[in-house]
This record gives sequence, structure tokens and C-alpha cells, in this order.
Amino acid sequence: MIVPYGHVLLLAGILFVLGLVCAVARRNLVMVLLGVEIMLNAAGIAFVGAAIRWQQLEGQIFVLFIMTIAAAEVSVGLALIVRAYRRTGSIDQNTYDLLKW
Amino acid sequence: MNWGLFIPELYYLAVCGILLLLSMGAKPNPRRDLVTVLFFAALGVVVSLASVRLEGTLFAAAYRVDLFSQVFKVLLALGLLLTVSLCTELRGIDEGHHLEFYLLLTTCTVAMMLLVSSVELLTIYVALELSSYSLYLLVPLRRGHDAAVEAGIKYLLVGTSASAVMLFGFACLYGVIHTTQVAEIVRVLPGMLGQPVATIGLLLALCGFFFKLAVFPFHFWAPGVYQGAANQVTAFIATASKAAAIAILMRIVALSGGGDAYLVKVLVTLSIASMTLGNLVAIRQKDLKRLLAYSTVAHAGYVLIGLLSFSPSGYASAIFYAFAYLVLKFTCFLVLVKVAADGSDLQIAQLAGLHRRSPLLAMALMVGVFGLAGIPPTVGFTGKLLLFTAAIRQGHLAIVFIAMINVVISLYYYLLVVKAAYLLEPDEDRPRIRLSAPMTLFLWVLVAVIVTAGVFPTYLLDLADAAARALLGV
Repeated sequence: MIVPYGHVLLLAGILFVLGLVCAVARRNLVMVLLGVEIMLNAAGIAFVGAAIRWQQLEGQIFVLFIMTIAAAEVSVGLALIVRAYRRTGSIDQNTYDLLKW
Repeated sequence: MNWGLFIPELYYLAVCGILLLLSMGAKPNPRRDLVTVLFFAALGVVVSLASVRLEGTLFAAAYRVDLFSQVFKVLLALGLLLTVSLCTELRGIDEGHHLEFYLLLTTCTVAMMLLVSSVELLTIYVALELSSYSLYLLVPLRRGHDAAVEAGIKYLLVGTSASAVMLFGFACLYGVIHTTQVAEIVRVLPGMLGQPVATIGLLLALCGFFFKLAVFPFHFWAPGVYQGAANQVTAFIATASKAAAIAILMRIVALSGGGDAYLVKVLVTLSIASMTLGNLVAIRQKDLKRLLAYSTVAHAGYVLIGLLSFSPSGYASAIFYAFAYLVLKFTCFLVLVKVAADGSDLQIAQLAGLHRRSPLLAMALMVGVFGLAGIPPTVGFTGKLLLFTAAIRQGHLAIVFIAMINVVISLYYYLLVVKAAYLLEPDEDRPRIRLSAPMTLFLWVLVAVIVTAGVFPTYLLDLADAAARALLGV
């Protein structure tokens, strides 16, 4: 393995934190969805790195599934956002405050 | 490969296909749709019952069929049937979308059936996501409610973030441990907890499951989603999806072989925090669905007590409690759906005078709520007794003591509900609630099940015991 596993994990970790910050801090719903996507891809990178480390196929297969599910996630998420936009005319999180948490 | 082991899942998959085709078809006909789905759901319970004794593994040992998984599949099939039986007046959802609603309920049931049999990270992940995505779509289906759309979006964003966190945890575990089989991971893991990557991986992975079960501090989605979703959807989330979450958490904890001090500490903390916070916040709720949501958080804490005993009797009591919880919660939701027949949210104050509007509903509500509170002779009392004795036998005295205090706190708000139904007089006269003959019978059956299973738990307990032993492989 040319790149050590630790470096791959570091890259994945940085990407994951970036995605998490994006998902938590941004107020735009599309950007939040994007942040979640980045988190999923970070997990994918970590899986590929581990797969190469162990010379196994499981990790690679896992990534294929992650990509499929991420696509489903985007389609469901965007559909919901479009519906919400039609009802309220805004995709800013701050306008969604009907429910107490 | 033996496809016979896969029969319940294949059956529900076929039902999904049929419902998908029907939903593309001609004009909506709520009556016909309901009868069709009710028939399929009832047949599904029979199919799951028939396959209770199957055993074996599938898909390169990624999927394990044993008594434990089959018992939970019966519970899930029962959950679907009960939820569908609530849909005689599905006013909360647009008529044109009824079939989609049933379709998503069924896909969610299939996914949860896959989940309770999964013993490999990939199958767990795929099953968990399939069940969650069905729920993300079910929540905003509610008609004419801005709150439903909002709840759906928040549920989706928080849920996908939680599963991304869990997935990253899986990746860390795989990177350290070299396998995706859960049994292998939990066998090797205790020796590796010194490594930061392994510890971080485990904690992140557990987050996802705790989120599903709405354990503190991952419970904050529950009240909003419960309130925003249509009443029937809330009933489904509160019963079937909780049973599945208990099952998968139990499988993972059981595979760890138990006794690891670190894991016990984490479970004790979460259990205490969940039940205390759930019960205290439930006191000040005005909306019945929100109250039931916080009582779910509290009940997640009670179930964790059974898990942290790490003994066959502890697991058996947790399985028994899952059944008790399913029936009790469902009874409460049945009353809620009947009283709020127009599909609106029900405030506790609106229960006033229920004993005059419909004595049977008031009694069913009282029995269900007393069961949740753990008053004898209901099944809820027996379940709590079993959980606590199992924990005491393993020497967890302190947590049982805290749980007892919690039960007393919870009595207060459960009694408020009963008081509203029996003692408060309504401001205005509301019409009597008419129940059809099958519904009356159904309510009596539920009440009878709650009481008889509480007084004579032997048969159910034997089954739960056998399932727990299958889980541990002894």
C-alpha cells in the first residue's frame, strides 16, 4: 500500500468533520443535505482505505452500497425540500419552527 | 441456499410489489384498499407464525434466522396488522395516497424483518436505511399540515446525519478489526478498546442504534415527529419500529458475550438518563402524542435495564417487555385514533368526559395507560417485575432503585390521562363515539390480552426464554 492507512483515515476524518459542520451550521436545507452527503462519502473513503489495508473486497462492496443509498437519500431529501418549498416558499431552516423540540 | 428460511421476507416483498402495482392503477377506493391490505397483513401474521421454528443462516452468514429473529418477525407482522386495523378512518391522509401509505408501511416492515436477522454490518446498514427512508416519507404524507412537512424534513435531516455518523463508526471498526461480521467484531473488540480508533468507532456506531430507539441524548426527534405525523403513522413508529430497534440492540449487546465493564457503564448511564428525562419532561406535556413520545423515551430506559443484566433471564424479560410494550402502546393509540376521528392532534384536555362518550374506549385507555405505568394485574406490571428481578439477580441494585422512583414519577402523568378521561367534565357537549361491532370486539380482545398475559405470563415467558436462549446460542 503506497499511502499508509493512517493518512487515509485522517483524510476521511477531516472530510467527515467538514460535512458535520456543514450539516449543523448551515441554515439552507439543501446545504444541510449536502453536508450529510459529504459525511457519507467520508465514510466511503474510510471503507476503501480499510479494504486496501486488509486486501479484502468487503470494504469496496460496502462503498457501492453506500453510493446507492446516498442516491436514494438525495432523491427523498430533495423531494421533501421541494414539497416544503411549495408550502412555505422558503428553504431556510429558521422558517420551520412550528414544532417545539 | 435454502430459500425456505426467507419466506416471511419474500412474502412481504411480494405484497410490496402488489401494492405498488395497485397504487399505479385506477381510481382510489379506500374501502377496497383497506380490505385488501388487511387481508394481506393478516395472512402475513400467519406466514410469520408458520415460520417460527426455522433456523439457519443465509447469504454467506450475513443473515441469521433463529427463534429470536422469528419471534420478533411475528411481533413486527402483528404490529403491521394492528396499524392497518387502525386505518378504517384514515382522514389524516389524502385519499389518493392511501395505497402509497400502505406500501410504505409494508416496505418498512420488510426492512425491519431484515434488520432483526442481520448479523453483518452491511445488512444492518441497508436494512436500517430502508426502514428509515420509508418512515421519512410516511411522516410528511399527512394531509394539510405544515407541521407534518416540517417534522418530515427534520426527521430526514437528523436521521440521515445519525446514520452517516453510524456509518463512519462502522468504517473505523472495519479498519481496525478486519471483518464486517458483528459476532467477530464484538469478540475482538474488548481487547482493542485501548486503541482510540476502535473506541471512537464503537461509540459512533452505537449512536445510530440509540437514535432509532430514541434513547437520551438521541431522543430529541421523537416528540416533534410523533406530533407532526398522522396518528396511524405515529402508532406504527411507536410500536413496530421500537420493537425492531430493541431487537437489533439486543442482538449486538448479546453478541458481545456480556460482562464488559465499560459497556455496562455506558448502558447504565444511558438507561438512567433516558428514563429520568423522559418521565420528567412527559409531566408537562399537553398533547397526548407528545406525552406518549416521552413515555417511549422512558420505556427505552427500562428496556436497557434488561439488556445490561447480560443474563438469559434479562434478555427474556426484555423480549417479554417488547411484546407488552407493543400491545399497551397500541391500545393507547387505538383510543387516540378513535377519539380524534378527524385525524387531528389530541390534547389531553379533550379526553374530558370520555367515559360518557364511550365507556369502552375509556376503559381500554385506562387499562393501556395503567399497563404502561406498571400497575397490576396488567402485562406491563409483569414485564417490569421480570426486568427488575433479572437486574437484581445480577446485582444491579442501584439502577433498579432509580427505576422504581421513575415508575412512581410516571404514575403522576399517566394518572392525569385517566383523570381527564374519567373525572373531568367537558366544556361543551361532544357527541358519543360510535364503534362498529368488530372494533368493539377488538377492544375487548386487547383488554383481555393485556390482563390475561399479565396474570398468566407463563406461555409467553417460555417463548421469550427460548428466544433468548436462541439469541445466546445455548
